[in-house]
Amino acid sequence: MAEEIDQTLPQPDEYPEPCEDVVNGDEEEENNKHQSVKCSPNLLQMLKAAESRRTPQSRDRDREEASGTEETEAQKTDMQIQFNDQKHEFNKRPANTGRRSLSRSISQSSTDSYSSACSESSEDESSPRDKPQATSKGLSDFCIKNIQQAEFGRREIMIAEQEMPALMILRKRAGGEKPLAGAKVMGCTHITPQTAVLMETLSQLGAQCRWAACNIFSTQNAVAAALAEGGISVFAWKGESEDDFWWCIDRCVGAESWQPNMILDDGGDLTHWIQKKYPSIFKKLKGIVEESVTGIYRLYQLSKAGRLCVPAMNVNDSVTKQKFDNLYCCKESVLDGLKRTTDVMFGGKQVVVCGYGEVGKGCCAALKALGTVVNVTEADPICALQACMDGFRVMKLGEVVRQVDMVITCTGNKNVVGREHMDRMKNGCIVCNMGHSSTEIDLVSLRTAELRWERVRPQVDHVIWPDGRRIVLLAEGRLLNLSCSTVPSFVLSITATTQALALIELYSAPEGRYKQDVYLLPKKMDEYVASLHLPTFDAHLTELTDEQGKYLGISKHGPYKPNYYRY
Amino acid sequence: MSDPAVEVKLEVKQASKEVKESENVAEKYSAMTVSKNSEMNMGDLSSAFSAVPTHKPVKKQIQFVEDKQEFSRFPTKAGRRSLSRSISQSSTDSYSSAASYTDSSDDETSPRDKTQVNSKGSSDFCVKNIKQAEFGRREIEIAEQDMTALISLRKRAQSEKPLAGAKIVGCTHITAQTAVLIETLVALGAQCRWTACNIYSTQNEVAAALSETGVAVFAWKGESEDDFWWCIDRCVNNEGWQPNMILDDGGDLTHWMYKKYPNVFKKIRGIVEESVTGVHRLYQLSKAGKLCVPAMNVNDSVTKQKFDNLYCCRESILDGLKRTTDVMFGGKQVVICGYGEVGKGCCAALKALGSVVSITEIDPICALQACMDGFRVVKLNEVIRQVDVIITCTGNKNVVTRDQLDRMKNGSIVCNMGHSNTEIDVASLRTPELTWERVRSQVDHVIWPDGKRVILLAEGRLLNLSCSTVPTFVLSITATTQALALIELYNAPEGRYKQDVYLLPKKMDEYVASLHLTTFDAHLTELSDDQAKYLGLNKNGPFKPNYYRY
Repeated sequence: MAEEIDQTLPQPDEYPEPCEDVVNGDEEEENNKHQSVKCSPNLLQMLKAAESRRTPQSRDRDREEASGTEETEAQKTDMQIQFNDQKHEFNKRPANTGRRSLSRSISQSSTDSYSSACSESSEDESSPRDKPQATSKGLSDFCIKNIQQAEFGRREIMIAEQEMPALMILRKRAGGEKPLAGAKVMGCTHITPQTAVLMETLSQLGAQCRWAACNIFSTQNAVAAALAEGGISVFAWKGESEDDFWWCIDRCVGAESWQPNMILDDGGDLTHWIQKKYPSIFKKLKGIVEESVTGIYRLYQLSKAGRLCVPAMNVNDSVTKQKFDNLYCCKESVLDGLKRTTDVMFGGKQVVVCGYGEVGKGCCAALKALGTVVNVTEADPICALQACMDGFRVMKLGEVVRQVDMVITCTGNKNVVGREHMDRMKNGCIVCNMGHSSTEIDLVSLRTAELRWERVRPQVDHVIWPDGRRIVLLAEGRLLNLSCSTVPSFVLSITATTQALALIELYSAPEGRYKQDVYLLPKKMDEYVASLHLPTFDAHLTELTDEQGKYLGISKHGPYKPNYYRY
Repeated sequence: MSDPAVEVKLEVKQASKEVKESENVAEKYSAMTVSKNSEMNMGDLSSAFSAVPTHKPVKKQIQFVEDKQEFSRFPTKAGRRSLSRSISQSSTDSYSSAASYTDSSDDETSPRDKTQVNSKGSSDFCVKNIKQAEFGRREIEIAEQDMTALISLRKRAQSEKPLAGAKIVGCTHITAQTAVLIETLVALGAQCRWTACNIYSTQNEVAAALSETGVAVFAWKGESEDDFWWCIDRCVNNEGWQPNMILDDGGDLTHWMYKKYPNVFKKIRGIVEESVTGVHRLYQLSKAGKLCVPAMNVNDSVTKQKFDNLYCCRESILDGLKRTTDVMFGGKQVVICGYGEVGKGCCAALKALGSVVSITEIDPICALQACMDGFRVVKLNEVIRQVDVIITCTGNKNVVTRDQLDRMKNGSIVCNMGHSNTEIDVASLRTPELTWERVRSQVDHVIWPDGKRVILLAEGRLLNLSCSTVPTFVLSITATTQALALIELYNAPEGRYKQDVYLLPKKMDEYVASLHLTTFDAHLTELSDDQAKYLGLNKNGPFKPNYYRY
């Protein structure tokens, strides 16, 4: 506890001991074989990926006092659950997204969003790897599904540009300077119109880009085509095999006469590959920018093991991203998701929200605004006190479950709503999950013979008790906001802008500013990201006068707050 | 603070103190500038993250300038601490301290010269009048009603006596609320000697009640500068009794011990400091390598911060405005300058009453939060002609200038919820062409030559301290945190705390919160073993990583 004072912000020490399956490749293989007995080969790669990743919870949950054995056990449970999760996901929608759905990385959700529907499944079954491809300009250093779709993809990108004003402003503001001139950026992210806007922004800022997909299913072929046509070397198509996945990454890195000096990663696969396969390139990198929780975790592992020999930037934990991914995004999507699926009216309804963290705060605020009577369950006394002060009753679920019309879970925990609760719910009670994996509602306990399941709409099941009472289960307990509502481009814009700024910062930092460690984005950059998004709201920022700046002892241009500020 | 006559008297008495203090401050300043530079270097991230001391500079620097400012106006100890937004300070202003009316006795002999004995024959204390003990006891009992957390702490820990053997010297405001704290500490096994951290805030009858029960208290209302240090010295310097813990508010006691009794100081098991200024002084000591005992910073604990700023201001903004102006809020156009914790609280309260709220903000992150929460972010100049109420909560100076005041509507209200009296440029209003008219206590009409009036509240000082009360519930949170910090420091195994300044462990923070939940009849959910294992948490907390923002 004595170290507490040193740990107001995340830093390497806070992250847990390396768990073997992340760092140790052999172990990973072994697990892989072990699992292969149980599941289809297609599932294999997902599991492997899932094992090597940790969810944000798992990162939070690791404490110094946790003993090694407990650690591994928790890990296993986690995997198992993850595994169930994926199976569901697979049956319904064979996307690699499942593997990352736990991390609440919004980037992932772009896979689910409506726009991705446009990547139509052409019946052309030959692998893009075997086809010779060339753009209209004769370039052939890329590998995608079908270059003919470029025009269609371009339209998609232009639509996305409309909703990502910050990146467009960044292009205009920095375009003349080319702050990334000479940067050779290798990226591994979802390939969607939103990331395409990011890539083209980087190009306009002077960088050369080569790109691969971080997810075998999320690629929008049309967008990839448009990017390839625009001269960016893209290696990605929808529905890659595991082998294709690594082949793409390798092609992306291994072009002769082109050595990357920056990495933009989402999930840590690219970083891992380069570190293992091309250690000499890895050493010469100027920096790594990582977006996902899992990737960050892997970087901290590397750093702890002393094997991170380049600076890395953690954009996941920046204030703006965190607040948008959790508080603001959930505040909107809880209403949207419930309306779309059930057309429920909120006014006067009794709701219990399990958990009063960022997500819970967002849900409560949104529901209260529509006149629902909100109860909160919470395990952490500090958050419980906050809930009290915000005017919500803090109850145990068992005490109110008979009266409520809706139960929304956002704890990150498992079995928060158990069968014993569901047995006592009113007829027509809606149960859904805004939390963080599909474990919060104990679904397994509902799959029993006496209960009848009836699918009434996509994502909506009625579970019918023998006495005719039904509860309405949304998205089979998976994340409501990802399954039943959309993620606004505005939120993705915040992430993308943060990534672009992190790349610029790392690339143009003077020698020695960043050492071989994982850094948070400087607060000033965070503030800059926020300021780029203010014009959307027509917000007019007040400027400090010189005198005021001096009085406060801060620069007129920020950073305006100390690092420990809670916002 | 609200009584001008007192201010004048004080000015003289405090003159010497002021000089000393500003030297002190200058010393701090030079040290601060260094760390400030490193803070500004964006590259120096890892070091910035690694230690709290380096986090502080921005805030500390602010503190400094304000200290000076504040000094020139209110040379009281209370004034100097009003900056810190330490609520403990505000207890001086609160209505409960008005209970000290009994001591307006015209007995002008200094308590120092009187021989005093309590009913048990002990004379190891120095208060105004031991006869008032019974009245003070009633005050304490009233306070106990609202401080259920401390009372339940007494019950829970009484049998264990976690402070058995602790010899605590304390230097805080002596009010009914701190008396509850002191008696809790005694009930937990500690021996206490107490003195006041403010020459005016002492409630004499409470001091008497404490002395009557055997706590050695050296304090009375209206001490002189000399009395102040005499009391501290008497408190520390007692034959056969060496303190081993310090509970301080403002750092004066720590400073005195450190300078005057270095040998005793070295043997101290720990210091618990509540105020921003005191914490700042401790960080200075620590930086200079001169802090030879562990210290606990209770000021920056989550619960205290949230209550002192967000929740407290959310309530007092409405209370303060209603009491002074009887204004109706619905449909009024309000500008709130600054969207930090205080600003967020004010906005939430006003929005709930149907005001049309706009925000001015310099920090783009906070501005974006305001946008997402549904408030217009504007510059003050753009809306100044239309607004009915301006509330400043920036911590900055001259946020509302004469130029802007000139353009305001007739009857608009200007007030300050921020952090010192610098936010509204009041000095610029003291010109011959403007007429000032005091219409109520704390309410001035400033009248322009053309007959336009602007209503200025509390002369630009803190509205929530001047015109509304601080709930005992908030003081209870601070007091409970202090008690737990003492217990933690006293019982920590050798080596857990080194010679540095620590934040209260999160678990303790959570415990403070949980003790206050009963007031709301809140039912905390317990994790099952299975769930705790899944989350990798202990069932009993801590529940969140340290960087969690709440």
